[in-house]
Amino acid sequence: MFMDFVRLALKALSERRVRAALTITGIAIGPLVLVMMSSVVGSYSTYIEERITSLGQNAIAIFPTENYRLDEEDLNYIRAVESVKRAEPFYNTQGLVKRGTEEAKIAIFAVDYSLLFEAIGSLEIDEGAIPPETEVISSIIGRKIAYKNHERHFGLGDVVTVTVPKIEGGKITGKKTINLMVGAILKEYGGALIVDPDSTIFTCLEAGKRLFGMERWSGILVLADSPTNVKPIVSILRQYYEDKAQIIAFSSIAEAVSSVTSAINFINFSTSLSAFAVAIAGVAATMITSVMERTKEIGVMKAIGYTNGQILLLILMESIMMSLVGGTAGISLGVVGAYFLSSRGFRIGGIGESGITLQLSPLITPSLIAQTLTLTILIGLVGGVLPAYRASKIPPVVALRYE
Amino acid sequence: MLGKTQTKPIIRLVDVYKEYRVGAISTLALKKVNFQISNGQLIAIMGPSGSGKTTLLNMIGLLDRPSKGKIFFDGVDISRLDDRTLASLRNTKLGFVFQTFNLINRLTVFENIELPLIPRGIPRNLRAKMVLEALTKAGGEESWLHKKPNQLSGGQQQRVAIARAIVGKPVVLLADEPTGNLDRASAKTVVETFLNLNKAGHTVVVVTHDPEVANCMDKIYVIRDGEIVGEFPPKKSESLISKE
Repeated sequence: MFMDFVRLALKALSERRVRAALTITGIAIGPLVLVMMSSVVGSYSTYIEERITSLGQNAIAIFPTENYRLDEEDLNYIRAVESVKRAEPFYNTQGLVKRGTEEAKIAIFAVDYSLLFEAIGSLEIDEGAIPPETEVISSIIGRKIAYKNHERHFGLGDVVTVTVPKIEGGKITGKKTINLMVGAILKEYGGALIVDPDSTIFTCLEAGKRLFGMERWSGILVLADSPTNVKPIVSILRQYYEDKAQIIAFSSIAEAVSSVTSAINFINFSTSLSAFAVAIAGVAATMITSVMERTKEIGVMKAIGYTNGQILLLILMESIMMSLVGGTAGISLGVVGAYFLSSRGFRIGGIGESGITLQLSPLITPSLIAQTLTLTILIGLVGGVLPAYRASKIPPVVALRYE
Repeated sequence: MLGKTQTKPIIRLVDVYKEYRVGAISTLALKKVNFQISNGQLIAIMGPSGSGKTTLLNMIGLLDRPSKGKIFFDGVDISRLDDRTLASLRNTKLGFVFQTFNLINRLTVFENIELPLIPRGIPRNLRAKMVLEALTKAGGEESWLHKKPNQLSGGQQQRVAIARAIVGKPVVLLADEPTGNLDRASAKTVVETFLNLNKAGHTVVVVTHDPEVANCMDKIYVIRDGEIVGEFPPKKSESLISKE
């Protein structure tokens, strides 16, 4: 009987093709927007969260404010904090690398190599080996510095000429040129937003002071003994430094990004809901008109033995059918739209060579499709229930007299 | 095959009143109607326009409930039955034929005829057999099955409507002015179909204002101003089927 009702509903819709098509178009907009936006936002937010998480779930960075200078005393204090596994200072600055005729913007990090590779677990050497800490001029360069469009610019042992700001008395007084040797080249990392290893030159800590002439530590990189101890350490350090330094845990950045993307998803969902609300009104209007036009037919159906419940189901089936078709069309178009949007890429600014451009496939998950389809079917149910109820309650004699 | 026994009353109306109210104005469409239909009868209900014929047919057909009085269907007081049970009785025991055929034009003839069988949950292959049987019984042709009703003549459409009414093998066939929209030739064919169905055991009740149609039946009840004013034998010589 159910399949017969489906068939009768489809026949009824095919009789009023234009009206049904317009209603279906209205229904399709909600799922289209929801799938397109959610999958695109989802893919970027997942990627961003993954990349931030890859920086190390137990890493904490301490950045002093302009008026505060981190020194050995701070380092000793931090190392003494419970659950701190390691703490090392680092220098960082920005510079330019001459690559043929062009100059590329890069970031320079002078840091203890072993701490660096421990903090960013997914950082890997492609060519060469981590230089000894004693080789001050030896460096590790990012993939995008060594290569541009698959064209190799720097190989192992090559000299990289870097122009950096000249700092005297804590102020930039000009610029200076430093030659570094390529000791290792990193595998492509893919951009980590806060740090972009692909566009970074890593040197040993000593190089920061001796080659680049940086007098103040840019910060201290801290490793907790486990991710669960990151929050207590951050809490202790914030209490200790108050407004003298910024304490940033990479895991909390991931949480912040997650909450921002959740907010974006919520806004997107709310926007889609308004499209769904309009669709409900459209379905209701279509079905009320349809029921009015078919009042006599409903009378005949009742006369030949259809119960009120069966009439309700018949009418409701029509609105659900429209929702299913609209939902399927909307979801399909949403998938196409999501791939189109994703193909345009998304640029994120960052330290180094002026950020990265992400080009990701939309995150189209079965749960997103199921959630969207369920919402769309609800449109049919909510929009159709009142007209269907009214139709089911028309007394047969009244319906048969209707002209 | 149903036997033509004319003994047991299938429908009995006892002191039935029907009042319609529109605002402060009330109209009494039926006044103290006492009436019964036995199995196998061939009955005409005659009367002028507005006399209450269709209201009476609606009561007999369990489409409406009386304002006062009782209706018994197969001995059961229908006031005790809910809408669902009444719908089930209409589906299994009654068949309706309307003046304007009331076929659904978007459906094929086959789909129109099978409509009463769907709520019963009868499988489609069995329905196909029952539909063809009913159409043949109603004087229709197999070639009509895949046509739309509006591709048929009025007489042909009414035969399809009769097929729809009898496909569920009802006990009583109720027809409201079944020849009202037909030419004489088509009307005659339709009346002959009713006579054949009655011979096959169906109880047939025809509401008409056409004496030539009424005279084809076994018994004529005349209704005027909501009251049954008499029961008359038909004048077979003045019936539609007696005329060339």
